[in-house]
Amino acid sequence: MAAPTAEATRRTAPRSAQRTRLWALLLALPTAWMMTFFVSSMVIVVLLSFGRTTNDGFPAFALRTDNYEALWNDVYLELFLRSLGYALATVAISLLIAYPVAYVIALHGGRYKNALIAAIVVPFFASYLIRMYAWKALLSDDGLVNSALRNLGLSDGITFLNTSYAVVGGLVYGFVVFMILPIYASLERLDTSLIEAGKDLYHGPVRTFFFVTVPATRAGLYGGILLVFLPALGDFVSAQLLGGAGTFMVGNLVQQQFMEGQNWPLGSALTVGMMTALTVLMVAYLRATSTQAREL
Amino acid sequence: MARRVERKPVVAVGVTIVFFAWLYLPILAVALFSLNDKKSLSSFSGFSLRWYDDLVHNEALLDSLVASLQVAAAATLGSLVLGTMLALGLERIRGRRGNLIGAVTLLPLVTPEIVTGVAALLLFTGIGLKLSLTTVVLAEITFSIAYVTVIVRGRLAGIALEVEEAARDLGCTPFQAVRLVILPMLLPALLGAGLLVFALVFDDFVLAFFTTGVDPQPLPVRVYSSIRFGVSPAINAIGTLMLLASALLIVAALVLPRLLGRGTSSLDLITGGRR
Repeated sequence: MAAPTAEATRRTAPRSAQRTRLWALLLALPTAWMMTFFVSSMVIVVLLSFGRTTNDGFPAFALRTDNYEALWNDVYLELFLRSLGYALATVAISLLIAYPVAYVIALHGGRYKNALIAAIVVPFFASYLIRMYAWKALLSDDGLVNSALRNLGLSDGITFLNTSYAVVGGLVYGFVVFMILPIYASLERLDTSLIEAGKDLYHGPVRTFFFVTVPATRAGLYGGILLVFLPALGDFVSAQLLGGAGTFMVGNLVQQQFMEGQNWPLGSALTVGMMTALTVLMVAYLRATSTQAREL
Repeated sequence: MARRVERKPVVAVGVTIVFFAWLYLPILAVALFSLNDKKSLSSFSGFSLRWYDDLVHNEALLDSLVASLQVAAAATLGSLVLGTMLALGLERIRGRRGNLIGAVTLLPLVTPEIVTGVAALLLFTGIGLKLSLTTVVLAEITFSIAYVTVIVRGRLAGIALEVEEAARDLGCTPFQAVRLVILPMLLPALLGAGLLVFALVFDDFVLAFFTTGVDPQPLPVRVYSSIRFGVSPAINAIGTLMLLASALLIVAALVLPRLLGRGTSSLDLITGGRR
């Protein structure tokens, strides 16, 4: 007798309610997963940043601000500022490269558009590590660039590695694709009659570009800036492989605290510091884009 | 659609050409010197496969390769299941709760990998899990769910709600409607997402670096420790193979879904979608 009753209630239950139950059921497992492995792990980082290291060298939870106070010294401050500088330089250079490339492909790519974008995407999604290594090989003292310079008699060799230029260059090489793609997407969507109209009104490609095209692709620009800045600020591979102790970034310090120095609470405080800076930026981005949405 | 843009912007075209050269030159140099018969990284003296031959006989490296393949396969499977469930749930449950869950699942995409890696390391050691390939898989799944969800949601948005309604009118239970009607339509998107995630996880260094145990280590972690000590033709060889493998996977992720159906492909995720 139970089965028909169940059948009856199921038939009478409104369809939307049945569906909602199924969807809620589907959501439950992934939500639990993200809570367990992502959210709670972040909480642990925050908690441990107030923790301490026991006498036998193990990290332990506590409630003290020592780690944050330890961050407030010249060495770490310089490191933070350097990372910020590198990340900003990376964003600026990526912007200068990405806009023309995206522009040419979106507006002049014709039927090769997709092929060209794929030609950019494919190497970028292939191993970041190997691409950093490729630069290291190219720029090393006995690498291709230096031997070419020597053969041409231009120089006795230039030390590229261990410089800020090499590290920032590596970061740009690593992340410029995240600038190209959103700008490309918004240029793709751009109504070209806007450019025509701009040319009619402003008489000149340069003014049209800065007063019409760039503002119309603001969403892509903001997105690209964010997507490049985030990974660049947290990177440690570029500074590790292309730079040296003099070019280390926050990421290198975090990596040292966790994998070499074994001061996990201090490393956690550094991580929280980095996340705080990034969250401020995220919020600024969200506000900027939502203001823009309201304007439209 | 014919675009009426008069002159080619010469400077921008120049920048684009230089960009492509800059993009490919270092990679091609790695590939070229992996075939060099001498140890030099600047003068090519002759063609040889000796570095590849060394690789094939390097037990530790082969173990790492197998480990990376296992990790990538397990993480792909896990994130496909969880990501698809999430996409289905989020696409149909609107409102505040759905938005919140949606935002949380996208967080790994905008969190620097080093933060995710450190956090995962703390969590695993905190709950007493011994670091191993299993912990790498757990971390990689968490990181990859977002990719699957974004791609599958993109495809779901293109499937009219009426399709599901029709299936229900023909007598399907809600579950059957998903299994028999929606999932088959999602297949191209799932294939694309799967290939993309496999390639990303296989190549991923940062998360693996923080969450792996000692032996066997995933391939990128092992390669990293040798790169730190310098440049060598053997790394050129393994690097070339890794680049080739992921390039093939990414190309497949871009092309196969388009061949299978008119759906969105992973390229649309990357470029923000076709209009």
